[in-house]
Amino acid sequence: MKPLRIALTKGRLEDSTVELFERMGFDCEGLRNKGRKLVLTIPDANIQVVLAKANDVITYVERGVCDLGVVGKDTIMEIGRSFYEMLDLGFGRCRFALANKKGEDFYQGYHAKVIATKYPNVARAYFKQKGMDIDVVKIEGSVELAPLLGLSDGIVDLVETGTTLKENGLEVKEYIADISARLIANVASMKMRKGEIDKLLSSMEEALKQKSAREEKQAEASKKEEERKPGTEVETTGQEGRSAIS
Amino acid sequence: MRQYDKMTPEGTRDLLFEECDVRDFVSRRVAEVFKGHGYGKVSTPGIEFYDVFSSNSGSYPQESMYKLMDNHGRILVLRPDCTTPIARLVSTKLKQQRPPFRLYYDQNVYRVTRSLSGGSNEIEQIGAELVGSRSRMGDLEIISMATEALDAVGIAQYRLEIGHIGFLNALVARLDVPAQTREEIRRLINEKNYPALAVLLDELPKGEAVEALKQLPRLFGGVEVFETARRLFRDEKAISILDYLKQVYLNLCQMGLESKLMVDLGLVNENIYYTGVIFRGYVEGSGEAALSGGRYDKLYEDYGEELDATGFALDVDILAKTLLAANQYPKPKAAEVLVMYEAPYAVEAVIHTRSLMKVGIKSELGFFTDVEKARAYAREKGIPRIDLVSDQVKTIG
Repeated sequence: MKPLRIALTKGRLEDSTVELFERMGFDCEGLRNKGRKLVLTIPDANIQVVLAKANDVITYVERGVCDLGVVGKDTIMEIGRSFYEMLDLGFGRCRFALANKKGEDFYQGYHAKVIATKYPNVARAYFKQKGMDIDVVKIEGSVELAPLLGLSDGIVDLVETGTTLKENGLEVKEYIADISARLIANVASMKMRKGEIDKLLSSMEEALKQKSAREEKQAEASKKEEERKPGTEVETTGQEGRSAIS
Repeated sequence: MRQYDKMTPEGTRDLLFEECDVRDFVSRRVAEVFKGHGYGKVSTPGIEFYDVFSSNSGSYPQESMYKLMDNHGRILVLRPDCTTPIARLVSTKLKQQRPPFRLYYDQNVYRVTRSLSGGSNEIEQIGAELVGSRSRMGDLEIISMATEALDAVGIAQYRLEIGHIGFLNALVARLDVPAQTREEIRRLINEKNYPALAVLLDELPKGEAVEALKQLPRLFGGVEVFETARRLFRDEKAISILDYLKQVYLNLCQMGLESKLMVDLGLVNENIYYTGVIFRGYVEGSGEAALSGGRYDKLYEDYGEELDATGFALDVDILAKTLLAANQYPKPKAAEVLVMYEAPYAVEAVIHTRSLMKVGIKSELGFFTDVEKARAYAREKGIPRIDLVSDQVKTIG
């Protein structure tokens, strides 16, 4: 039978997905030692794994050459298109935020605000919903530079810890959306191969549930620890799998 | 400036030889099915007034239409859809006749797709419309014919999903939310965007409709879906819709379609004129639906007619691609005779090909002076026989 083909976003999301696969009992030896290969198979599971850049994951899934894909909600929000979003995988957590220079009022004045961003569609959609006209400038590298150099009034970008913002004298003005990795599926695959995909999905959900239960326990335990030892600070961010930028 | 003189516009392509042959084959086979059920062919203009596609019951997205201007400054579009022009045709040209009308078409539609996506902007559709039938028989006739069409072109592996737009409407109608939120909910359901839908629904006050909506995107599968849905949402209207759809489902199973059939209560088709049972078909190897259709009882109201209608269209390009990939279509045969001639007998050579044609032998004129070159050409093309025309016709092998 034709293998189920799943496209993973190269990098951190790929690592977290491989971990998830391992918890699901898949043999990920090949995925761990992949060398430069871009197409890999999981033995005994009839699954083929394809490694691609985030935007391409969506393209491959939409065009039906891959049945499933793992990609960040940030990419989904930016490029949209037609596929089914099946599952929130919970890793790769961060947020879309509007940020500007610390202490400045972003909304002051009547001039059309200039926004620098790597995500022009997300930025436009956010301000459209506010009924605001903005000028979008697409930046490819460190977006934080734009307001510092006076090119823009603010930025729309992914924020995880906010450290980069702080170190450059910027602050989060508003949070736009929560981001995490999603499992997406091709529309036709969902119909043609429902049985196989459903099976994989429920096994994934099971593994995710177990993990979050375990994490909760750990969090509780560390909380107790904290209560027992007053004065020591314990960081409980509950985050893993850092996303693209912070 | 001749920068673009060697290119076709984005989303369009030249079709060569077998690509055309396989399309012809699909068209012919499907047309035979339609004709076999009493459908007659119609053809509508490639360009229509913009107004045709911006009616009350469902306007086509503006940005997806190719627009032009006529010499009075009126806006024209390349037709993006066939069902609406046929509604126009029926309510004007067939006004004096009694329904039902059974029509089919085989023509291109034009849609501006996203740039650089590799999608087609020119799509050949062959489809049927049954106008003037309110009954379940109408739904059955159309859905059954859709599966017959797939069978006729030799596609064995396909899935047909059926749903009912009324179920979703009943659910959404029970929500106390602004129109904008309603649209947003519809969109999310269509995209099967579970996480975003859950987030949106969590913000709404709890209720049966909200809970049912949360489950809706997962409501697809076999006959068990009807029971699950019934338990989730005890709305009178929704239940009568479920009963109706179940009846259609069971009838289709009676026709032996059970293994190919699925129910999807979250199904929403892209054209918004649908009002009842809707369906889509998927084939192996294509990421998009190869056929889609459904009931649209309101569209004719735009033309002042009270006609219920249902129909569907097949994407000829997708079917052709599937058959090409499977190498599963009748291939045209090479010529049987290569006709050569000695210089003074050129006209006699043409006359000879005409006489061959009359007795049904396929021939090709050979423009060679050298017999060896002609032989090489015949070998390459797989032509078994060479006729040499001089004062007489000689077969030279």
